[in-house]
Amino acid sequence: MVKFFETSFTYDYSFPAVTLAYFLRYPNPYSTHVLSTDVISRTVDPSSGRLHTLRVHRKSSRLPPAVLKLLPKSVLGSVRGGRSESYILESSTIDIKEGWMKTESKNLDWTGILSVVEKQEYRRNVPANESDDFKVDTGTTGVVTTVIFKSRLGDRLRARATRKGEAALGEGDDEPPKRSLLASWSTIGIQRSIEAIASRKTENQLGNSKQGMTIVLERLRSGGLVGVLDGMRRDSQGVLKSG
Amino acid sequence: MSASLAPECNEVKERYDSCFLKWYSEKYLRGKGTEDECASLFKDYKKCLTVALKERGIDQMLSEARADHKESDEIHMRRKCECLPAADC
Repeated sequence: MVKFFETSFTYDYSFPAVTLAYFLRYPNPYSTHVLSTDVISRTVDPSSGRLHTLRVHRKSSRLPPAVLKLLPKSVLGSVRGGRSESYILESSTIDIKEGWMKTESKNLDWTGILSVVEKQEYRRNVPANESDDFKVDTGTTGVVTTVIFKSRLGDRLRARATRKGEAALGEGDDEPPKRSLLASWSTIGIQRSIEAIASRKTENQLGNSKQGMTIVLERLRSGGLVGVLDGMRRDSQGVLKSG
Repeated sequence: MSASLAPECNEVKERYDSCFLKWYSEKYLRGKGTEDECASLFKDYKKCLTVALKERGIDQMLSEARADHKESDEIHMRRKCECLPAADC
């Protein structure tokens, strides 16, 4: 089962500034839940000049209580319940000549319950002008964000039920297949609910991530790179205080 | 600068991050960044981080994420093949 969500937005900042803000977007006041960011790999393709980056973000998060309520105990047993951190894998490719950046983020844990994949495509809206392209306030940058939710919980439970059903059929008993049919109906319900809750939560978070980017871009405009780094220092102190 | 997931890597990470930001904003964004000038600093950071990822079991999650991708691709490929002989699937 899959749920799909798409939104587009335009930043009133140049493409180079937006890509820089993307790398520098954590910490910011709207992302206090992001605890750390690490670079796993980073390469420049010698022929295309594209920059490929792979990063891992650590976020403090719990499954929403509404989701926890829906999960059967058998599934929760395999999940470390008190766990309050999760990891996000983010890959990005930037082509500065063609003026685009493509990113993809997905959760590394909890994937047995829900996998969320967020893809973004940033595009330079104004043709490159070599003399003033890097000025942060010239040109605009469009971004299209798509988020795909997939709850695989039911797939797993169904697979288990089917296996049980097949085994029972071999013994000449035809009751278990009926039970597995009921089991699959109820897990479809759970999947739909998990996806609906996750989708509502994501709509809020997408707003927050936009505001976070805008703050970083504003700091870039008013204080350059130093302004961004000063702001980050203040924000990370804030995280430490609140944590 | 954002923190590393491993506090012991913060110092090498910050040195690498500063180098990258300088290179990115002064060279890459101006179309002059054909090679990575921060490679040696990245090597130091990566050395520290690799140990930390292993200790926390994140390296396992990373390889699972890749294997998972492959697995679902294989399922879709198989379905396609099964569908070919029967016209109405």
